[in-house]
Amino acid sequence: MGRFGKEFAKGLILSNPVFVLALGLCPTLAISTSIDNALGMSLAVLIVLVAANIIIAAIRNFVPAITRIPIFIVIIATLVTIVNLIFHAYLPATYESLGIFLPLIVVNCIILGRAEAFASKNPVSASIADALGITVGFMLALLLISFIRQLLGTGSLDVMGVHLFTLPGLGEHPIVGFILPYGAFLVIGVIMAIFRWKGVMKSD
Amino acid sequence: MRAKKFWNQASPIIVLTIVVTVCVSLLTYIDSITRDKIKAQEDEKVLSMLSSMFPDMSSYEYEDEIYTIYTDDVEAGYAFLAISKGYGGDINIMVGLNMDTTIKEISIISQEETPGLGTRIADPAFTGMFTGLDINDVALSREGGKIDALTSSTISSSAVVDAVRETALEKIKLLEAKE
Repeated sequence: MGRFGKEFAKGLILSNPVFVLALGLCPTLAISTSIDNALGMSLAVLIVLVAANIIIAAIRNFVPAITRIPIFIVIIATLVTIVNLIFHAYLPATYESLGIFLPLIVVNCIILGRAEAFASKNPVSASIADALGITVGFMLALLLISFIRQLLGTGSLDVMGVHLFTLPGLGEHPIVGFILPYGAFLVIGVIMAIFRWKGVMKSD
Repeated sequence: MRAKKFWNQASPIIVLTIVVTVCVSLLTYIDSITRDKIKAQEDEKVLSMLSSMFPDMSSYEYEDEIYTIYTDDVEAGYAFLAISKGYGGDINIMVGLNMDTTIKEISIISQEETPGLGTRIADPAFTGMFTGLDINDVALSREGGKIDALTSSTISSSAVVDAVRETALEKIKLLEAKE
């Protein structure tokens, strides 16, 4: 596996941003109520993270160490504002349902974390691989959590306006708690525990 | 040596200034190309909401936070936004009034109530109770009004009811003052 592949693959499981690094938990908990939200959020993070990593890796040799954090934040905030405007103009439904969590990507520690820990020290190509890997890892985590929450919390699965199926029994009496905030903690907690358990088994 | 020292001290300011300038220009550009589209998006939302409330609407005017609805250039009703503090956050309600200031219809535009409980305020079973009511009857039944609170969602129910009544009274006063 080349460097590109290696940097990409680490984001999926080994440094999965949500389950292993435990970064960006606030938006994850808040928007993982439906698969549509998870997809919208992943798309926004994909655009911002890839663009931020490219720009920061490209200018990394010109950035004075003392002002690097303000510079990174200005770049990230600009990208998030652009995504915010574009979503508002062209994807109004996604914009509405993500609400405040779209502009809050500015302070999402996944983005600044990757800028500081990776893009500011590595060339552009590796930074793209890193951004893609982390985003796909983030997306897989969001999809897994929102799949469980939407399925149990509403009893049926609707993706992008298409009704897939309804669970018998749960359809009439969904476990509403899974849509509520505590349902998010419950689901993430259990998945994190499984990740830890598997990790411990492997290191033995 | 001197030039190097100068650069070491000045570079943070210079680089940050360049980055900020580039970012601001970029944002100004993106804003200019998305602004019309966003405005159109918002207008369309209002239009579709008003025309579902007043199917005969031919045009509308917006002044003092009140939409005046016209059917063939004759005033047909009014609509306005009522904002209420619900159980989970703000509830935005579009209220339509007939010319005789009875309620034409209400519709919940956005809300953050508890799913499955408070969110039922948006169901026609709840909003339908408002249709045709005199403003003074817009109150929960235990307070002498004609709206039944939703079971186990009293806070959400009374938030909607109170916001609709208070805002409507205020707007009616405003409309009467104008005539």
